[in-house]
Amino acid sequence: MKLIKLASITKKLAVGALAAFLLIFLPFHMGMNLCILRDDGGEWYRNVCHFMGTNYIVKCFEIVLLLCVVFHIVLTFILWLENRAARPVRYAVSQKSKTHQGSKWMIITGGLIFVFLILHFINFYFAKTGLVEGKYVVKVEKVQKAFSAKAMAIQQGQMKEADMQKLQKEYMSIMAAGEKLASDGKYYVNLSKQDLQTYFGENVEEYDYEPDFYNMARDLFHNPLYVIIYLLSFVILAIHLLHGVVSVFQTYGLMNEKYSKAISYLAIIYAIVIPLGFAIVPIQVILF
Amino acid sequence: MATLNSKIPQGSLSEKWTNYKASQKLVNPANKRKLDVIVVGTGLAGASAAASLGALGFNVKVFCIQDSPRRAHSIAAQGGINAAKNYPNDGDSIGRLFYDTIKGGDYRAREANVYRLAEVSNNIIDQCVAQGVPFARDYSGYLANRSFGGAQVSRTFYAKGQTGQQLLLGAYSALSKQIKEGTVKLYTRREMENLVVIDGKARGIITRDLVTGKLERWFGHCVVLATGGYGNVYYLSTNAMGSNGSAAVQCYKKGAYFANPCYVQIHPTCIPVHGDYQSKLTLMSESLRNDGRIWVPKKLEDAQAIREGKKTANDIPEEDRDYYLERRYPAFGNLVPRDIASRAAKERCDAGYGVGTGKAVFLDFSSAINRLGKDKVAERYGNLFQMYQKIEDENPYETPMKIYPAVHYTMGGLWVDYELQTTIPGLFAAGECNFSDHGANRLGASALMQGLADGYFVLPYTVQNYLAAEIYNQPIPTTHQEFDKAEDEVKERIAKILSIKGKTTVDTLQKELGHVMWEYVGMGRTKEGLQKALPLIENVKQRFWSDVRVDESEDCLNPELEKALRLADHLELASLIARDALQREESCGGHFREEHQTEEGEAKRDDENFMFVGAWEYKEGAEPQMHKEDLNYEFIKVQTRNYK
Amino acid sequence: MDLTLKIWRQENAKAKGHFETYKLTDISPECSFLEMLDILNEQLINDNIAHPVCFDNDCREGICGMCGLYINGRPHGPDEGVTTCQLHMRRFHDGDTITIEPWRAKPFPVIKDLVVDRSAFDKIIQAGGYTSATTGGVPDANAIPIPKHKADEAMDSASCIGCGACVAACKNASAMLFVSGKVSQLALLPQGKTEAAIRVKRMVKKMDELGFGSCTNTFACEAECPKQLKRTNIARMNREFICAKVCSEEK
Repeated sequence: MKLIKLASITKKLAVGALAAFLLIFLPFHMGMNLCILRDDGGEWYRNVCHFMGTNYIVKCFEIVLLLCVVFHIVLTFILWLENRAARPVRYAVSQKSKTHQGSKWMIITGGLIFVFLILHFINFYFAKTGLVEGKYVVKVEKVQKAFSAKAMAIQQGQMKEADMQKLQKEYMSIMAAGEKLASDGKYYVNLSKQDLQTYFGENVEEYDYEPDFYNMARDLFHNPLYVIIYLLSFVILAIHLLHGVVSVFQTYGLMNEKYSKAISYLAIIYAIVIPLGFAIVPIQVILF
Repeated sequence: MATLNSKIPQGSLSEKWTNYKASQKLVNPANKRKLDVIVVGTGLAGASAAASLGALGFNVKVFCIQDSPRRAHSIAAQGGINAAKNYPNDGDSIGRLFYDTIKGGDYRAREANVYRLAEVSNNIIDQCVAQGVPFARDYSGYLANRSFGGAQVSRTFYAKGQTGQQLLLGAYSALSKQIKEGTVKLYTRREMENLVVIDGKARGIITRDLVTGKLERWFGHCVVLATGGYGNVYYLSTNAMGSNGSAAVQCYKKGAYFANPCYVQIHPTCIPVHGDYQSKLTLMSESLRNDGRIWVPKKLEDAQAIREGKKTANDIPEEDRDYYLERRYPAFGNLVPRDIASRAAKERCDAGYGVGTGKAVFLDFSSAINRLGKDKVAERYGNLFQMYQKIEDENPYETPMKIYPAVHYTMGGLWVDYELQTTIPGLFAAGECNFSDHGANRLGASALMQGLADGYFVLPYTVQNYLAAEIYNQPIPTTHQEFDKAEDEVKERIAKILSIKGKTTVDTLQKELGHVMWEYVGMGRTKEGLQKALPLIENVKQRFWSDVRVDESEDCLNPELEKALRLADHLELASLIARDALQREESCGGHFREEHQTEEGEAKRDDENFMFVGAWEYKEGAEPQMHKEDLNYEFIKVQTRNYK
Repeated sequence: MDLTLKIWRQENAKAKGHFETYKLTDISPECSFLEMLDILNEQLINDNIAHPVCFDNDCREGICGMCGLYINGRPHGPDEGVTTCQLHMRRFHDGDTITIEPWRAKPFPVIKDLVVDRSAFDKIIQAGGYTSATTGGVPDANAIPIPKHKADEAMDSASCIGCGACVAACKNASAMLFVSGKVSQLALLPQGKTEAAIRVKRMVKKMDELGFGSCTNTFACEAECPKQLKRTNIARMNREFICAKVCSEEK
């Protein structure tokens, strides 16, 4: 049974190419996450998030990345179905041959990673697109800028006295919130949609609020259940990568007697270092 | 004698094949398509013949009993293939290879055939390299050679310890190409059960589909038999379980003469017998004798202690070891021809110096390991050592191997003329299943050479020469009465075997036959022994036809029935071997009659009375009749074989 | 030693199969696995218990590739680098239960009991596993020098015996190791280079057509190959395939 009429190797090459893209992406994501660890109230992390969330090239990549994930999953699943069909009668005794680490469980580890990805999307990506409620951040300087713009308009007589009073009231309310929220004097953070309405009124759009990934992450990482799920997911990712990385090289014919050992070691290093880099963040957050 | 015309072309030895090729008849391409050729067997000879004839444009049908042509037992040949390339510049030439082969065969082979073999040997290597056979090479990138028994030059090309495999896969790939191109049709799991002869010519075969049990008829303008040897008559041999002489016997019964059946080669380096359950013996390549030294203890008490497990080989000091081959044959040492090495081992063991079960000698690599290093030895023989270790559970790098002679190859076979045609016109025989090139003893690395020479470079010419006259003959429909008759014979035979429903299994009877053959028609034969053997064989034969028990499933895979059908034919052959051995009152090559030996225990030929090929004619219900083809040595001086 | 055997019995290709249990006593540890089955068959015939168990075998020295049984979850049983016929009973213990199954793969249908049809392998070779040199008219064997390491590697790749253990071991029933052995051998040698691109494409196509699974690099094939063909062959074939698709102008 062939669901896609392409040579088996071509299909594998496609899966490999998609995987390779994801492999390149992972270190970037990890680097971004590691910014959480910096003791700067989330400044670096927020800057990175801001860049990632607003740069158009990055946005293009985001789409490509999403497609990669989808096609990687769809293709491997199809291959899995085809491969199962190649053995219609299964063995009575389960196979005991020595296999490459993790290779037998790719479809399962992959599936679990997919489940984690959904969770991850709900938590972060969907918050960004507004599909689910998240926490938000507003920059103090943005508020100040907006106010001074308005104040300028009033001074130049373009605004009425009544407006002036309203503005002052609004300013007071935000400042009051500010004392509570903008501890470092730079951000109003960890605001829910409700908070935004309460503190910034109807004109909240003017203040360019963004999702507060820093606090969302830290909040999540204070939830032990989430941390356990998170850490488990990265153990699973490590298992997936242990085989996946070597597999990409093998499929692209980049293994030979001379340097296959070196590649195997590099793959192991990659498969351990990357998930470890991710895992270190919640551990630090929950422990310290 | 008119019936045994060997059709040797005129001219001097080196011109004969050239002359033949220049004057043979050809078939034009349009006619080739209309001519059917049946090839039975897909070993080196069969596969190469089918591929070559297919490439020429003939309509070839090829049959094998296994599930794939690549399984043929040629695949198990380990050591190498000879050719007179003289790449090492050590004095080799076509003439030298010719001479060595004739001498190795103890002056019992036909000069013209052997010369042709030596002549085409070089083409074989070229052909195989072009097919992608990965022969061993030196750092220069050029082909490497090693030496083999019976030669003082290095002329053996090899591919690790798997030369037969690589050559067969080469032929198999050529065959596969022709199958794809449609000139060859492949029929697997089919066993030839009968030959169809119409108006005195071979016109087809009856096969049994081993999976469905169905009998099938096949027409061919000619039939090429390449079904290998009959070593399994001895039950324990280095042959594969399925190797058999059945097809050859069927042809013999239809009128093809069977030549020199008593020439059976006993290979000196096999893993010894363990017990009754044993089904086969494993060969350890002759190439091991390049670097391995064969010895037994000098003292009887040491041999005794080793047998009882009180001492090991490593406990015997150098001065107490008897390197008997080096002692007896200083010029060739461990590399004497197989028959001589085998007999020498038997002689030592019979004298009580055997190790292991008493029927084994040591093959020691310690001096080679010291000289070359373990890595070099592993590179040369690694896979053989591993094979030995798996079977014997001993590490040959540390303790010497134990080896003993075992039945390996049969020089005898269907009688063929220079064109490889049997006494039935249109029936050709190639490879081990004919008798032609090895005389009374085959040299190591010569079987591969002969199989491929026959298939690639001889049959394409001689078969064409025969078929040139066949273009006038339309294919005969397989409804012809002779096909009916042939199929009925097979049906009858199968029905008869299945109806016996006796108590003895085929294996039991085959083992019994094997014991008789090894005991009385084995390495050392005597008149009394042979006379004793004949009634014993007859006895097994009678028990077979009255008491054999075969599983009855007829319409599906039934290995028991296959074995029974083969055993029936092997019983026929067994008595023929014994009869021929009895007739040949001399010792030559693989045939050693204890009455005929020199004072030093060497074989003593009788050229005066026995310089002939004994070709046996089957007589229904009577004793077979022997015809003689005299061997005339025009170009070579017949001498006593001397390897001292 | 005493053994309990659970053996797959299936009358013919169409019949439904099942496991049958047999007891054997007093088996010598020096006995080979197939000789043990011979003893079983001898018993089955003598005691009129059942039809003897059919299993493919021929050379019994590990080179013809005919034998192949799936023993306790591993093709060719628990020993490394051997075929079933080279497996000896000393690898088992007294009282063991041994489950014996035929190779399982869609392109290897069961013919009877433990015998499967492996003609799919022949078809793959017929699709391109050769050089097109016909008999005669080839240059001298030493006309083209071949670097020793290449010749050696080609030899290693060529040592495949076509037993099908790689397919049997692979969770996807993939034939990649088998195919890549031949592709590698011929791609490494100058004689095979001429047709390398078309060969790999044709052989892969045929392999897919026949219903073998695709390779997911689990390397079970390498672990079970009696001739220890290496996974690098598969990598080389992938490389050859990419080159054939991308670099070769031949369609």
